[in-house]
Amino acid sequence: MFKIWKIAFRDLVRNRRRSLLTLLAIVIGVSLLLFTGSFYDGVFAGSLDMSIHLQTSDLQIRAQSYDADKISLDWKDLIENPQDLTGQIEAIQGVQAVTPVLWASGMLLSGSESVGVQINGIDPRSPIYDPIRQALTSGEMFAADDRGGVLVGESLAKSLGLSVGQNITLVTNTANRETDQAAFTIRGLFDTGVAQYDDSTIYMPLEKAQTFTAAGTRASAIRILLNDRTQAESYAAAFAAPGLQVLTWKQLNSILMDSVNASAAFIQLLYFIVLGMVAVVIANTLLMSVFERTREMGILSALGMKSRQILGMFLLEAGMLAVVGVALGVLFGGLIVYYYSQVGISFGQDIMEVKASNMITYGKVLYTQFSALKTMQLSLTALIMILLVAVYPASFAARLQPVQSLHGK
Amino acid sequence: MSAIEVEQITKTYKIGTQETHALRGVTASFNEGEFTALVGPSGSGKTTLLQIIGCLDQPTSGALRIKGQDVSRLNADQRADLRKGTIGFVFQFFALIPGLTAYENVELPLLLNGEGTAARKARVLELLDAVGLSERANHRPDQLSGGEQQRVAVARALSVRPLMVLADEPTANLDTENGKQVMEIMRRLNQETGVTFLFATHDPRVVSYATRVVQLRDGRIDDNHSAIPTV
Ligand SMILES: Nc1ncnc2c1ncn2[C@@H]1O[C@H](COP(=O)(O)OP(=O)(O)OP(=O)(O)O)[C@@H](O)[C@H]1O
Ligand SMILES: [Mg+2]
Repeated sequence: MFKIWKIAFRDLVRNRRRSLLTLLAIVIGVSLLLFTGSFYDGVFAGSLDMSIHLQTSDLQIRAQSYDADKISLDWKDLIENPQDLTGQIEAIQGVQAVTPVLWASGMLLSGSESVGVQINGIDPRSPIYDPIRQALTSGEMFAADDRGGVLVGESLAKSLGLSVGQNITLVTNTANRETDQAAFTIRGLFDTGVAQYDDSTIYMPLEKAQTFTAAGTRASAIRILLNDRTQAESYAAAFAAPGLQVLTWKQLNSILMDSVNASAAFIQLLYFIVLGMVAVVIANTLLMSVFERTREMGILSALGMKSRQILGMFLLEAGMLAVVGVALGVLFGGLIVYYYSQVGISFGQDIMEVKASNMITYGKVLYTQFSALKTMQLSLTALIMILLVAVYPASFAARLQPVQSLHGK
Repeated sequence: MSAIEVEQITKTYKIGTQETHALRGVTASFNEGEFTALVGPSGSGKTTLLQIIGCLDQPTSGALRIKGQDVSRLNADQRADLRKGTIGFVFQFFALIPGLTAYENVELPLLLNGEGTAARKARVLELLDAVGLSERANHRPDQLSGGEQQRVAVARALSVRPLMVLADEPTANLDTENGKQVMEIMRRLNQETGVTFLFATHDPRVVSYATRVVQLRDGRIDDNHSAIPTV
């Protein structure tokens, strides 16, 4: 449209400082939001990943009556023939790994101290426990037929002054609703990065756990990892059988998922607050520009420019600021996000913990997560918001009568 | 033939309850090619009359005819269109667009009128030459002297070959020498192109260029002091 863009552009260049400060506001706003969003995404993706790998897996099969909160060991609440089921599921395409697990609540006794723990009877050969193998800081994973070996969290061991090779006593609830007690040797210490988990988790071979708790050959659950997590629902439907319940990672991490949604709403609010502030800065800049240029508006109007065209010129000016600012903001914010997605942000302690049954949370290092979709959404929202805000000063300029604006010599 | 006719024009400004009668019934006509000085004491309504003739403002009552056509009741967009092709303005302050060069300032009305590139270029160069500023084509207003800026404004006012150029105290902010230069250029272009000029002024030296003088007093034309001097 004529040289309107040129007048608008020249005005931005002429008022270099004002334009730069406005750009800066947009850049800071956009990159801040980009970073905040990817930070939260990183926290939740990380938490979810951690939770799935350490605890829930993609799918779990349990007895229909099993209540995870009670960690029941009653035979009716356990899976009768976990090895058969495991073998069947293993053969199904798309299943990455499958393994039975037995959970029991117990107590670790060492000297005069006692600590409540959750005992995990596991098959150490399953790749599902790769994360634990990788988390070992000393010692090694026990063998499947080890009758007296356990893994203890490093932080727990430290607080009790224990190390690899030393003995501990474990007390456990049993299937008979009694308690049993036995001595074990620490084979290894692990550090998952989640203190709460490390402080309360004991691993021992499944078979030993079964005899220790009088569970026979039964298991609390069968953990399954899939090649494609997003297909969990259809696999769950396929595995459904009478007397069994099949839970997906979404159901197993429902509290975490809920808090993701809650914080998504919070992020949304933050977006609007920060963008609102940026918008006010833009509006202010443009309004100043309008006031400074009333005479110029008068001249343009005298030359025959219509108010619609003057409105367009101001919107164009705001648009140029917005496009350049948002682009720079995305670039700058994107670089920061990329950097921290590679290097990670190290925290001295756990970033967050949500105490709930079967729920663990994030470790000590956070990796931001870049989302192209969210970046596009943010850019678009910012652009639209800035343009909307620009309408007020622009229409103010357009409403000026030529005589009004030419007045004052 | 008369290019512009005003008939019983009144203009009343209202600020709150206070009414100012800036024009109290002005009737006049301006012929093509005339070079008219509008004189009168401060507050007599010169600027107001120029604004109404220039379609920047509307009269409270009365009629304005441009080439015989009544234009006193046009809406804002229609007036903008009329200004665009028919009227050129020169203001007391050097009213150039600060972001654009001298060349671009002269070009702007041509762009608004949708002139083609080649025609624009030829016209702009011709006019810059006519006001003696060919060398300054690429200077921005803040790189030009007041006199130079006003000459660019004159060139811009003439760019679309308007019916009429309205100038409100075009020399008031210039020194004698520059004022003289601007008046001589306007007079020469008036003679060469036959464009009608109407300019308000206080300055007797400026009045001396006029082919006709219209005297305003209290919002009315004072016929006793208006005259068509012999050229
Ligand atoms: N926008 C306005 N609102 C209210 N009153 C106005 C307005 N413009 C002009 N007036 C009044 O109308 C009268 C005529 O003003 P105008 O500017 O036309 O005079 P002028 O002859 O141009 O004066 P000067 O020689 O000082 O420029 C004055 O009394 C002025 O105060
Ligand atoms: Mg005046």
